[in-house]
Amino acid sequence: MAKRFFGISPLVCLTTLAAGLLAGAPAQAQQPIKIGWLSSLTGPLSSAAIAENQGVQFAVEEINKAGGVLGRKIELITRDTASDPTKSVNFAQQLAFSEKVDFIIGPVNSGEALPAIPVIARAGIPNLIIGTLDELTDAQKYPRAFRVINTNTQWITGAQGYALDVLKRRKVALFGDTTGYGTATQRQAASFLEKAGIKPAYQVLLDPNKADLTDDMNKAKAAGADVIMPWSAATGLLARILNARGDMKWDVPVVGHPAVMALPIKKLLTKPEYWDNVYAAGYKSTTYDASGKVPQRTQALVDAIRPKLGGEIDFTFWWVALGYDCVHVIAHAVKTGGSTDPAALQKALETTPYAGVYGNYRWSATNHNGFPDGDIVVNRANSFKEGSFAIAPGAR
Amino acid sequence: MLIVLVTGLAIGSLYAMMGLVYNVMYSTSKVLSMTTGHLAMLGAVFGAWFMGGLGWPIWLGLPAAAAVGAAFGLLTDVVAIRRVITRSNEHLWLLSTLAVATMVQQAVGLWWGTEPRPFPRLVPQDPAGALDQKYWLPIVLVLLMAAGLGLFYRKTMFGKVFVAMSEDAFAARARGIATNRVRAMSYVISGALGAVAGFATGQLTYAFFAVGTLLTLNGFVALAVGGLGSNMGALVGGWALGIISMVASHYFGGEYQQTIAIGLLMLALLVRPQGIFGTRQVRAV
Repeated sequence: MAKRFFGISPLVCLTTLAAGLLAGAPAQAQQPIKIGWLSSLTGPLSSAAIAENQGVQFAVEEINKAGGVLGRKIELITRDTASDPTKSVNFAQQLAFSEKVDFIIGPVNSGEALPAIPVIARAGIPNLIIGTLDELTDAQKYPRAFRVINTNTQWITGAQGYALDVLKRRKVALFGDTTGYGTATQRQAASFLEKAGIKPAYQVLLDPNKADLTDDMNKAKAAGADVIMPWSAATGLLARILNARGDMKWDVPVVGHPAVMALPIKKLLTKPEYWDNVYAAGYKSTTYDASGKVPQRTQALVDAIRPKLGGEIDFTFWWVALGYDCVHVIAHAVKTGGSTDPAALQKALETTPYAGVYGNYRWSATNHNGFPDGDIVVNRANSFKEGSFAIAPGAR
Repeated sequence: MLIVLVTGLAIGSLYAMMGLVYNVMYSTSKVLSMTTGHLAMLGAVFGAWFMGGLGWPIWLGLPAAAAVGAAFGLLTDVVAIRRVITRSNEHLWLLSTLAVATMVQQAVGLWWGTEPRPFPRLVPQDPAGALDQKYWLPIVLVLLMAAGLGLFYRKTMFGKVFVAMSEDAFAARARGIATNRVRAMSYVISGALGAVAGFATGQLTYAFFAVGTLLTLNGFVALAVGGLGSNMGALVGGWALGIISMVASHYFGGEYQQTIAIGLLMLALLVRPQGIFGTRQVRAV
């Protein structure tokens, strides 16, 4: 009896093991792809993040409805950082080590991304960056961090090119704000002007909550400025610049940060015409062509997502397109790499381009900024329609 | 330079009003509530909602905004003051009022949004440079508020009760004054005044959820410079802070604005700890 038992047992074990393996293989294939989504859905920097979230959620739904990626559904694990860098670091650790996600999108602004990216990099998790500060990417230090959005440099050079080459202005008044981002960006803009052989006629850093900017605009005018270039994301500050300019009846062009085109600005203006002669760096993907149409990929997404947004698009659509693209970039990397192995995902992104709605991305082993210069254009601020803008006069 | 002075005077008037609001609460509770600036934020946000969003006229929007401020003042007393000051001699009210201020700011951010929104024009007037209503409204209001509070303290029985409590709350209670009720009433009054201040300066600050903390700080600086408990001190301190901030910004740039404000506080505390119009506290031993 004992002999018979020992004779059968190896066979039983092997059979059980084989059955287990066979049963396990499809089970693993069905495991979801876990994406961590670190976003400031509340707090002072939430406007753009809320719009991006619409795109992210829509892309996940769309992909899952179509059967997932390589037969695996996407599981989105959202963490609201509330625009707080400390929370973004804590949640990055939680997503990497507790949730064991395959990919992390975010954090969604530079201030939160600066401390969180090294944490995600140490965990070896592939990471899509949505912050424009140039320092956020480094193929050596953070080999699995890839930027989807453009860089600050691209915004500044785009707007500056328009002011200097198209409008032919040379006496630049540079306005920044006293936040870390505003200060760094104003400094960067000044150095780019210097490279172009131009010394700003006037430059100032302003408290984002300063109640009135008439004095600062008077000083810019007295300095002979023939173009105002504001580098701040604070809509209140930007609106005060435009209101002061309008009240002074000074028809100087304003060319700068994309936030100057944001819809909340329109509501803060004393008169609607104060938005005339205002231009900002924008995107090809959300710019109407001569026949009044946006690119076909953008229009397709607008049509598909419109019912989810209640029929009306009353915010800048590039944020939605950016969120949408982030999920599709991950899907592209998983398909190309054949798995969610971090090294395979890194290689996939470094070696294959991806044509998205927001941009046509191309990363390499040495350059992890995938957004091309050619996809940046300059828009006319007061041309907002359905989330997109008209191109600025004379811009290409 | 005229516009620098006018802007400084207008924004200084807002700081002065915050100082007056501090004084009203301090007189009955000896608490410097961290919710002070948030009262003005509520006045601006709800004023913008009532008038801009719901289309109410000013005669309805202003009292409604004041009522919201008064309700929040009462809530502050009930939630953050009443139990804390009766059970602890430590300055735990600093923490409890800070918690209430943080909660109301977050709640308004979630409901109202985190972008500044416009505040409607209150008086029919085209933009008029230095004579615009956004400058003269706060200047006129702070004078009215200071004069009104002066009359209230000197000419009304209720005001005299406030003064009695300010001088010695225990003695006032021993003489039959319901100190808890008086304190609650002072928080209601200060809530309404703070909201009216925010309403009158909404065109300068916009209806913005995050403006409260800055006003709490600058109102305190104004009061520390002018003298805690003195309405004249709040006026002088507020105007000094507003004008110095704007002049500093004019000559040195905006990055020095807050440094100047805090520097002024430090200097005032070093040179005259009781403030310009404050009285030195003498403790009998």
